Amino acid sequence: MKAFAKKALVCAAAIAMTMGMATSAKAEDVTLEFQQWWGVELPDGALQEICDGFTAESGVKIELLSNPYADTKTQVAAGAATGTMADVVGLDGSWVYDFAKQEAIANLSELMTADGYDTAQLSDQIQYQGNTYMIPVVNFAYPLYVNMDILEEAGVEAIPTTWTEFLDACAKIKENTDKAAYCIPLSTEAPNGIQNQFSTWLWASGGTLMKDGKPALTDNEMLTKVVDFFKTMKDNGYLTDGVEAMKEQDMVNEFENGRLAFMVDGISHLTTIKTESPDLHFTYAPMPKEDSYEGQSGMDVANWGIGIAENCEHKAEAMKFIEYLMSPEVNAKLSQLANAFPGNNTAAPDYSANDELFLTAFEIFQNGYAINEFTGAPTAEDLMRSMNEQLILYFDGDTASVADMLTATQTAWEAAYE
Amino acid sequence: MIGQKKLWVKILIVVILILGAIWAGFPVVWMISNSFKTNAEIFELPPRLITENFSFTAYAKIFQNPEQVRFFINSYIISGIVVILTLFIGIMAAYAFSRFEFKGKSVINTVIVAVQAVPPITLLIPYLSLIVSLKLFNTFGALVLTYLVFTLPYCILMVTGYLNTMPKDLDEAVMIDGGSRWTALWKILIPSAIPGLISVGMYTFMQAWNEYLFALTLTKTNDMRTVPVGINLLMGQHAYEWNQMMAMSVLGSLPILVLFLFFQKYFIAGMTAGAVK
Amino acid sequence: MNSKLKKTLTPYGYLLPTLILMTILLVIPIIMVIRYSLYDNVIANKNPAFVGLANYVTVLSDHDFWNAIGHTLFFVIISIIAHMLIGMTFALILNTRYLGARTKGIFRAVYALPWMFTASVIAITWRMVLDPNGVLNYILMTLHITSEKITFLASRDIALQSVTLINIWSGYPFYMISILAGLQGISPDLYEAAALDGADAIHSFTGVTIPQLKPILISLIMLDFVWTLQQFALIWMTTGGGPVNATETVSTWIYKQGFTKFQYSMASTGAVILLIVCTIIGILYVRQQRAEA
Repeated sequence: MKAFAKKALVCAAAIAMTMGMATSAKAEDVTLEFQQWWGVELPDGALQEICDGFTAESGVKIELLSNPYADTKTQVAAGAATGTMADVVGLDGSWVYDFAKQEAIANLSELMTADGYDTAQLSDQIQYQGNTYMIPVVNFAYPLYVNMDILEEAGVEAIPTTWTEFLDACAKIKENTDKAAYCIPLSTEAPNGIQNQFSTWLWASGGTLMKDGKPALTDNEMLTKVVDFFKTMKDNGYLTDGVEAMKEQDMVNEFENGRLAFMVDGISHLTTIKTESPDLHFTYAPMPKEDSYEGQSGMDVANWGIGIAENCEHKAEAMKFIEYLMSPEVNAKLSQLANAFPGNNTAAPDYSANDELFLTAFEIFQNGYAINEFTGAPTAEDLMRSMNEQLILYFDGDTASVADMLTATQTAWEAAYE
Repeated sequence: MIGQKKLWVKILIVVILILGAIWAGFPVVWMISNSFKTNAEIFELPPRLITENFSFTAYAKIFQNPEQVRFFINSYIISGIVVILTLFIGIMAAYAFSRFEFKGKSVINTVIVAVQAVPPITLLIPYLSLIVSLKLFNTFGALVLTYLVFTLPYCILMVTGYLNTMPKDLDEAVMIDGGSRWTALWKILIPSAIPGLISVGMYTFMQAWNEYLFALTLTKTNDMRTVPVGINLLMGQHAYEWNQMMAMSVLGSLPILVLFLFFQKYFIAGMTAGAVK
Repeated sequence: MNSKLKKTLTPYGYLLPTLILMTILLVIPIIMVIRYSLYDNVIANKNPAFVGLANYVTVLSDHDFWNAIGHTLFFVIISIIAHMLIGMTFALILNTRYLGARTKGIFRAVYALPWMFTASVIAITWRMVLDPNGVLNYILMTLHITSEKITFLASRDIALQSVTLINIWSGYPFYMISILAGLQGISPDLYEAAALDGADAIHSFTGVTIPQLKPILISLIMLDFVWTLQQFALIWMTTGGGPVNATETVSTWIYKQGFTKFQYSMASTGAVILLIVCTIIGILYVRQQRAEA
């Protein structure tokens, strides 16, 4: 049976080969596949140009596999399962734990040591069991986007800075316009609304979800207030209709088309929003804080992280490529193009050509500190999903109190930390 | 009295006809209409079928993007190969079932019929590693071979049905004239089964053209991907470009629509033959 | 070669390509998936441990899995009933003598429309139609059928019904066309005989049409049962199984176990359970086909 199966396999492979369908590998020179979602969000051809710089320098070719974020995630996950991951992969902070645990991505600490790379210049390294598996190449802040026309139509004079002011603004928008005030995408398929549009409020008022690297949701005073704040928005109809089925793209679409007053979104979308809706009159603002909170604000950051596949056959070259992307000049260029902040501390991007709105966001960012507690967390997306579900249950009145909602989420999260 | 009853029946039929047409056609009309709008107009109130910004911009964007054109080319190539291979392999198998008695016939036949019940998602995880070890990951071969598993059973069953309706004398006549079974099958039997084969071929084409799960997970680079994945990639952009997604949907559905309109007679005839067998 | 041996081997020769393909891409993967389901966690864990049937115990005692089964059954049963009713109605109308050939042709094409679309197209089109700001809500509100926007896909109370509605839309044409083909195969003599016996329209429908169509109808129901049972793309692209788990079906459950929780063994266990159910139906289908032949 086994012999037969083997023969059959060989046979099928041969058929496929003769059909000319199998890809053949060129042996002579090294080509690294680089799978990421960055190329889609950067200006056309920009990433290719940067990679060509590396080819000119080292002779190693870079083949870009650029697809949107969600698709890249499916691809990387499938690649992790099958050992077919592209040599160099763009990673989100929330994926690192799982792929490192599966031994699908390579230990960068070893590679950096072998290369004698100076890690002091890196703004951050994402680790698993004490070793680095991902390096953030550039970082994005998630400020508040404000549609000024809607505020004017509603008669809101100043951009709110506290929760009370924010709720007042929402009430006026509800009263005087047919637009929605705020939006949190809660689709089960892509639950990162919990990270970017929910937890942002908590972090901005100095709160946290974790304590000593473990979930600390129960008896979490600020978190309780944030949940209630959202419940108030939901009950008063300030949120876009049907948020439970929305994804981040739906939200951006609502904002682009002038049907949403406030949203929290990455500044990576600045350029695309400007191109899609040139007439939209919007600005950035710091997240409103809980009324009694006086301290500094944490600002949600996401990053374009990078890692190397365990199945990569040219790890040394791949590491060189990462070092190239992290080198001060290249890193500065990439940051400038992406409306992002550099992952290399010594990089000094020249933002003078960027949109002036970007400079506003930069200023907001500098007044606070960067935070994202989902980066490096185990099955991070699933953590978001369980909180997402509990939040909807609380919205719908199926859960009696915030305390019950947080206890239920805590139980789900603890399972992932066992 | 009878005339009045007939009138009522006629009115009832017309009412159902129209309601049915709205139910079946409205989403399609809306899809087409939105492919000509600007993004902001798609959710405007009150909704309009045709707006002053009516344009082919969304279509132009797709045709100007070589990556998206490539999705169409890939879909045509893959579906085309799947149809040819399915018919070729399926006809051979059907001939065996129709003309021979052999050991294991009933078991093999049972398995083939039952395969129609196997959900593709249950095989997804093993396929991931199997396709990799066959060195077929990210090739057309991966898609063609996995699609064949799900297209062959229907083809074999239908073609066996057609062949069973043809007298065995036909093949024997050819063989008496010195021809082989092979010639009998391809020169005599198959030409007279053309309407049925068109029906089977069309159904196979639809299955291959529409497949999403394997196309998504068994390929990696965009030059290997198909239309359903391409449509979904558009959904993954930073914000929905509804008009482009609609345009891509219209273009992606066109081949099937054209096939159906051209061959609907054969198609229904083919199904009748299969149903009556 | 010995001619008798040749004769015995000929049919296998014709079957060879099919057999090779089915062995490699059907039998082997099924064995693999069953094997996966017996380990603690494959793929994600480099050295999986054999755990016997422990995964089956976990899955079958998982409340969410049973929930998914409940949703799947609702989705499947309602879809089949509606497919049958709509498909039969349209087929009968397209088969009446009151309509001209041209009218029939046009409406046949219109009614078959939903069948021409792939799941991703159906999903985005309906998401657009069912959006709270979408056209259906506008129509319902203009006609004063509802005073508030209905969040079809976002409300836990009606998301499952909405997804089922979409599936009904996409699936009835297969029934319609098959039944239409069946109707055209019924000999007019049977109706004449029934008419001579004094049967009216209803009696000739129950007495001639239904019995004549019975084999087709049973095949259709069985095929549709399996197809709807495994529907993945449509649900995944409209609701992703949500809100909360309101539209979670066995397929989305399997996909999530694999691709977001990286519990490939659990996913395989769910897959094997689904496979067993489908195989049972598959075998019933074979028997039914045999009985008919």
